[in-house]
Amino acid sequence: MIGGRRPLPGRKPADRRVRVERPHSPYFRYTGPGQMVAREAASRPVTPVGRAFARIRGVVFGRPLASEEEIGERLAKKKALAIFSSDAISSSAYATEEILKVLIGVVGLSAIAYSVGVSIAIAILLAVVSVSYRQVCRAYPSGGGAYVVARENLSQLTGLVAAAALLIDYVMTVAVSTAAAIEQIQSVLPAVYDYRIEIAFVSISLITIGNLRGLRESGNIFAVPTYLFLGLALLMVGLGLFHIVSGTVTPIVETDVFLPKATETLGLFVLLKAFAGGSVALTGVEAIANGVPAFKPPEARNAANTLSIMAVLLGILFIGITVVARAYDVLPTQPGGPSVVALVATAVFGSGSFLVPAFAAATALILFLAANTSFNAFPRLAAILAEDGFMPRQFSFRGDRLAYSWGIVLLAAVAFGLLFIFGGDTHALIPLYSVGVFVCFTLSQIGMVKHWNTVREVGWRWRAVLNAFGAVLTAVVMVVVVSVKFVDGAWLVVVLIPLLVAMMLFIHRQYAASRAQLAVRPDFVMSAPRREERVVVPVPSINRSVVQAINVGRAISDDVRAVYISSDPLETARMREQWDRQVPGVPLVLVESPYRALVGPLVAYLDVLDHAWPPDKPAPVTFVVIPEYVARHWWERILYNQSAKRLRTTLLGRPHTVVVNAPYRREDGHDADRDDDDLTASDGSDGGADGGADGGLEGVPPTERRAGRARPLGPG
Amino acid sequence: MGTGGIVTAVPEPSPRLIERAVIAVNGGTSDERIVRVACGLARPSKAELVAVHVVEIGWSMPIDADVAGRSEEAQRVLDMVEGVAESERVKIETVLLQARDVGAAIVDEASERGADLLVLGLPYRKRFGGDFAIGRTVPYVLKNAPCAVMVVREPMTEESQA
Repeated sequence: MIGGRRPLPGRKPADRRVRVERPHSPYFRYTGPGQMVAREAASRPVTPVGRAFARIRGVVFGRPLASEEEIGERLAKKKALAIFSSDAISSSAYATEEILKVLIGVVGLSAIAYSVGVSIAIAILLAVVSVSYRQVCRAYPSGGGAYVVARENLSQLTGLVAAAALLIDYVMTVAVSTAAAIEQIQSVLPAVYDYRIEIAFVSISLITIGNLRGLRESGNIFAVPTYLFLGLALLMVGLGLFHIVSGTVTPIVETDVFLPKATETLGLFVLLKAFAGGSVALTGVEAIANGVPAFKPPEARNAANTLSIMAVLLGILFIGITVVARAYDVLPTQPGGPSVVALVATAVFGSGSFLVPAFAAATALILFLAANTSFNAFPRLAAILAEDGFMPRQFSFRGDRLAYSWGIVLLAAVAFGLLFIFGGDTHALIPLYSVGVFVCFTLSQIGMVKHWNTVREVGWRWRAVLNAFGAVLTAVVMVVVVSVKFVDGAWLVVVLIPLLVAMMLFIHRQYAASRAQLAVRPDFVMSAPRREERVVVPVPSINRSVVQAINVGRAISDDVRAVYISSDPLETARMREQWDRQVPGVPLVLVESPYRALVGPLVAYLDVLDHAWPPDKPAPVTFVVIPEYVARHWWERILYNQSAKRLRTTLLGRPHTVVVNAPYRREDGHDADRDDDDLTASDGSDGGADGGADGGLEGVPPTERRAGRARPLGPG
Repeated sequence: MGTGGIVTAVPEPSPRLIERAVIAVNGGTSDERIVRVACGLARPSKAELVAVHVVEIGWSMPIDADVAGRSEEAQRVLDMVEGVAESERVKIETVLLQARDVGAAIVDEASERGADLLVLGLPYRKRFGGDFAIGRTVPYVLKNAPCAVMVVREPMTEESQA
């Protein structure tokens, strides 16, 4: 396209030059022959409402990121640790208490003596599981964790079981950790009980928005509370250990110790129950293996190292808090009382220290943020499942900020739904919590044993033995967790996992069926069209949108006919006279509709056309060109095109029928200025121009038609 | 600076920051190099950069014939330039011209825009017989451009040295 009217002069008369416009430049960039890349402006909204909405989105979620910026969104180890470890590290705030609660019911106040042994056993399990997942990170750098390991080494079905268990677990993590955080605040400020749903909503919404802003930004937002908790918890453990070593420990005296009536005697099963109770500390360990691609290159190594750092920190905090709790004789209090970790903080820092409320606040924050790990792991797993065709495809699409928006929003909605249904008290859900994760641990480790046995690379034997040992340990915990918590609600997981697996299989079958229906043979070469085409244009009157629709129809085929459906015989006659005069060459079919129906008679007419077609010839393609008037404002949309919408919906799926919208814009009239004289009647007497003020199929109100008032054709 | 009113040394002239530079690109291998060089020069003073690509129109056609507008290749040359400038985080304006003579169009565009630097690329080529081939655009620009001209010659390849 030549810009400007005349060539620009040069130094000499022959040196004239012409500037050429580049209209594609703001929107597209050529990258190769016949290949363009859309720029940000190409997806910018054009309507004022759309622009306003985009501005709001820009403020809330940030500017849209291009796919090539994905590498910049990747996480360094420090941020990744904050994002992926908040769930696991937050477990240290309550894992000791879970062990003590089981043991105290059996051995009373001497429970504390056994707690350290149990916590060391859990730490060994943590070490085995984290070493196993380090190997998963390296062997499967594309992410997916237990699902991918089980899918690749066991079977697709086993993979789906692992995926379903994980998805359930992630939802539970968000609901339970949010409720736990609110409880933590409630123990300091009892008044918040009445607003727990609102607080849950705000907290989940903030984490959702943070995650929709993209990985990097959510890392920036959520790193501070995680590291604050880590710093204070490590300080507390360090100071506690120093007191122990220096012999300055003064055991605290509790008045409201939680002492349930003993119903069992101390034995292996009770120890296993305590072991299973404390194993909640391991939830979230698998999240890093799911999100390996979120790390900066080298992804697998960074993920594996972050996992190790997380496991070491969790182990130190867990054993440290248990050891310090034992030294200070800290035991669980009655429900509603301070938590074990809060009592440890009070004992170590001193009751008057500002560090006590600071630690309480940091604990509440880390519990809120435990949900954040799920917000990273759930959408990634859902995306991998969607890519494999086991979840709707939308889950694999990345949003404006390269986050898996659909997964994030679904997780937030389901978790908040659970909190809402349970009134913000998710104690009933806790039995479900951690069942899923042990199913995954077990399946992934069995899968890794098979993996090592198949690849047989250097050191495969000890790796396989380690994974086998881990599989046995986690399987035992899984059985204990399920058996101990079955009646309390773990049965629900046993029901939910098969249900989710069945749903995923159903989705997969649907996609497979549609793929098979749409598949084209590799040797297929498209031939020239053989079918005949015909065009049917339903017309409400003669107006500009109808004229445009007729022209569109003429461009498709020579066989164009208009169909006018009316309930008024007089009107029909008038339309015939006007049509023959103004649109010669295009046959008009008049259909009287005494029952005032529009869509039914038109469909019936199309059926009649089909039946009348010679049976020895292939059925023609019928193009139904629907004239439509494009509304300028959102509120105008309810005034126009309602019949067109109904007609389109009815015709959708009709065999050998293609519905064509011929939208008429007011600007189209200005563009076709030269035609205006032809289209616009100069006066009312002979123009016969009663074109629909509202265009499309809505036609003109009968009163105006009968008045025979002459008006310009078209939308005005 | 002088000491006691005596000038002891002639001060080094401070390098003048450019305000507007025109880069002439031709779709050749040196385009990316000269755009990066120009971006580096423009960054300190936030100078205005204009990339110009000229499509030569033969005398058999009118000067305003719709040639460059329809040429995907001509558009691609400037799109590549925009991409390089974007990666360097420098804003650049792109201009597509049709002219009878490339050198004259470049010089005229630079003059009209008041450019203080004109950057051109020069591939290392040899004529038949072994002489270095400089073409006719670079000499024309060197002779006629009103502003400073920077010609960035491509490094010799092993093939060309042989």
